[in-house]
Amino acid sequence: MSATCEYQAKDYKSDLKPIWCPGCGDFSVVQGIYRALAAIGRPPHEIAFVSGIGCSSRIPGYTTAYGFNSVHGRSLPIAQGIKLANPDLLVLAAGGDGDGFSIGGGHIAHLIRRNMDITYIVMDNQIYGLTKGQLSPTSQKGRTTCTSRYGSLEEPVNPLLYVLAYGAGFVAQASPTDLAGMAATIEEAIRYPGFAFVNIQSPCVTYGEEAQQIKGLKAISENLTALGHNPADRLAAMDLAQHYGEKLHLGVFYRNPEPAPTYDGLVRERQALLSKDAPPAENILDLFIKK
Amino acid sequence: MRKDLVFGMAGSGGDGIVSAGDSLLQAAAAEGYHGVMTKSFGSQIRGGESSCRVRISTTPILNPGGNLDVAVALNWEDFLKFGAELPVSGNTVVIYEAATKILEADIPLVGVTPLQVIAVPIAEMAKATAGTERAKNTVVLGLIAGWFGIGAVAVMKGIRKKLAKKGEELVDANQRAFDAGRAFAMEHPLKVSMNVAASATKGQVKLITDGNDMCAAAAIFAGCRFFGGYPITPSTEVMQFFTDHVWKYNGAVLQAEDEIAGIGAAVGASFAGTKAMTATSGPGLSLKSEMMGLASIAELPLVIVDVQRGGPSTGLPTKTEQSDLFAAAFSAHGDVIRPVLAPTSVADTFRITIEAFNIAEYYQTPVIVLSDQEIASRKETLDPIDTTQFKIINRVVPTGTDLVDYKRFKQTDNHISPISHPGMLGGTYLASGIEHVESGAPTNSGSVHQRMNDKRTKKFDPLKERKDLFEVTGNPDAPIAILAWGSVAGVCREALEMAQAEGINVKLMVPYLLYPVAEGIYNEFFQSVQKGLIVEQTHLAQTFKLLRMHIDLPKGVQSLARSGANPFLPTDIVEALHRLLSELQRSHEGQLQPQE
Repeated sequence: MSATCEYQAKDYKSDLKPIWCPGCGDFSVVQGIYRALAAIGRPPHEIAFVSGIGCSSRIPGYTTAYGFNSVHGRSLPIAQGIKLANPDLLVLAAGGDGDGFSIGGGHIAHLIRRNMDITYIVMDNQIYGLTKGQLSPTSQKGRTTCTSRYGSLEEPVNPLLYVLAYGAGFVAQASPTDLAGMAATIEEAIRYPGFAFVNIQSPCVTYGEEAQQIKGLKAISENLTALGHNPADRLAAMDLAQHYGEKLHLGVFYRNPEPAPTYDGLVRERQALLSKDAPPAENILDLFIKK
Repeated sequence: MRKDLVFGMAGSGGDGIVSAGDSLLQAAAAEGYHGVMTKSFGSQIRGGESSCRVRISTTPILNPGGNLDVAVALNWEDFLKFGAELPVSGNTVVIYEAATKILEADIPLVGVTPLQVIAVPIAEMAKATAGTERAKNTVVLGLIAGWFGIGAVAVMKGIRKKLAKKGEELVDANQRAFDAGRAFAMEHPLKVSMNVAASATKGQVKLITDGNDMCAAAAIFAGCRFFGGYPITPSTEVMQFFTDHVWKYNGAVLQAEDEIAGIGAAVGASFAGTKAMTATSGPGLSLKSEMMGLASIAELPLVIVDVQRGGPSTGLPTKTEQSDLFAAAFSAHGDVIRPVLAPTSVADTFRITIEAFNIAEYYQTPVIVLSDQEIASRKETLDPIDTTQFKIINRVVPTGTDLVDYKRFKQTDNHISPISHPGMLGGTYLASGIEHVESGAPTNSGSVHQRMNDKRTKKFDPLKERKDLFEVTGNPDAPIAILAWGSVAGVCREALEMAQAEGINVKLMVPYLLYPVAEGIYNEFFQSVQKGLIVEQTHLAQTFKLLRMHIDLPKGVQSLARSGANPFLPTDIVEALHRLLSELQRSHEGQLQPQE
């Protein structure tokens, strides 16, 4: 909690002008991230911010951190490589619901299993915006889009239940309906020592439905603290998470009161143990000597 | 006295054939011989057919050898499954299990009369001496020691060491089985003695390893400290080596959830400033291609090892082939060059892997090491390598004024821009798969795209001048040429020696750099050439076509290509050279005739 005065939100804002549509929820998300980073106070050059492809995946470029706007669905593998190469870095990953739960959906479970100290922010808008309005993995059943003219035939993914089921140590939800709350939630997620997931209901003003806009979201939002939810109670969190899509619960669903060791931490321990008395790498061929 | 012997042994999975091959190779190394051992299996997990070839020589070995001098069949059904991988000729001594109840005159080898055929009650001897048929392989080693003079002392020394923990009783049982084999051989001398001469280098230290382990060791030597990958035959041992050793050098391994995540993590590690690698085989190369495109446009150093096996798709997962050449050279969409290097032996896998890292780091690019199943899984004895001769290149990082208004993709004279990494103050930038201006900011400008494509391709021009990545042997002015790469190169090196011994004026080129195609170097090589062979294990003649795409090969240069798992023998190449030679002579005679 030190060094909070050294950096201000504007220090994390880059000169790049976002490509987002006016009114896009992602403008609020990037503001929330600036504020959270300022509160934490890590200098921008010690932050690696990775994304995939999609409207929201442009986000690293709008910060002054080291950014990596990679390929569709693969922010998490890249983030893990960064974290293992340099565990001192603050590593953030972000993307949309399609990037995280459709094309890249296979990676989350494994990052959760490994519990690397990475914060993953999904800007969930229930639509593919960049490709102009197709069905996404979190679109509700029956939704009509340009690829579901007669209505979607499949149930949406529930991102909250998904990550809770795999045992994520920190699971939260936020929304531009409460910017201060979002910034605080992101900050808490980053501070959590292990994998942290924040689902942000970020409205698509161009292809989103009426009910998914700020007004509609406000109407269904409920603050988890106000509800008296105990974030140490994983089963209660899963219970609440079942209402994804009908209600917008904001705040921390689950925070493991006893954070498990992180993969990156264990790697460091192993390195420390095995590098002691190791022969120099220049002599590695000695392993092949047969006497 | 023989200078060189090629053994081929086959049996079922439980027969310990490969373990016998290992023992023989180690014993040979201990006695100062050069040795190469290749393994070949069916694709069953356990059991099934299994075979190995061990070539032992008093001089350095260029390839696993052609026809077998000694064939050992523990049963014929399994032996025959290996077909051309275990070729028997009129000069082969065939040793087989008498319990097969097949008469020496009736062995199921079609169209060939071996030099000598000997039925040995191998299983019976194992049972009688060691109390179990599991000692059959030790009996075989005894037979080999008796008949060919290899490993009389060293084999049992090795076995003793290997089984030391399992108790004296087991060691003694093996000793009895070995002695029985040896005694049998002494009592039944060969018609023509095939004893191998003693090695001049007896007592010198030798290394033994295979291509996969050598590749991983070279990577660690080159400074690689991150490996991301996914298990796939026949490349998995590269990852295994990393998991055994890289922690000692403060590195890490991620066995990822899939091939894409494996290379993705390696891309991330490289972005973070660490030398990184992934390894895979054909199907995995296909899956990794998008990430390879990303690393190319983001100009991130990365080494991708592709241990080729028969393709397409699952193909022949346990057999060697060279058919990933196109996939490696053109591995992802877009206008891009990704260097492809190929080792030709276990020994040069060390140098080529280091070279791959150096090129990756210098040019800021993914580099593919195109190994193959044979090199990857064959074991070689090696003389100690002087590692001080290898220079290690690290990526150029921004310093001083570079970091004032830092531009990650700055246009420079050599098209290579200093590269920062997270943690470096003043170096922040956006890496991306999207086209970008010099700062890294995204763009969709056609003129920037043109300029950046120029930068990303022209930077490789000096690589195409690297003559040290090409080996040319034989008479430089020869009118006849052979060209081969990868494991096939070793076969052609031996063929060259055989052809030269016959007085044929021929030369051989072995490219270690396959892509980008070094037009100038090839043009120079082909200047004197009227007839030639591009030898490769691909069905489509991929090397021949890749070369023709870039250079005008002389008309007389032909393709000698065949599918994987159909190995070339040095004699196949020499035979083809004879054909070329007579064509050449005919065309000369034609030219000498007065024209009407």
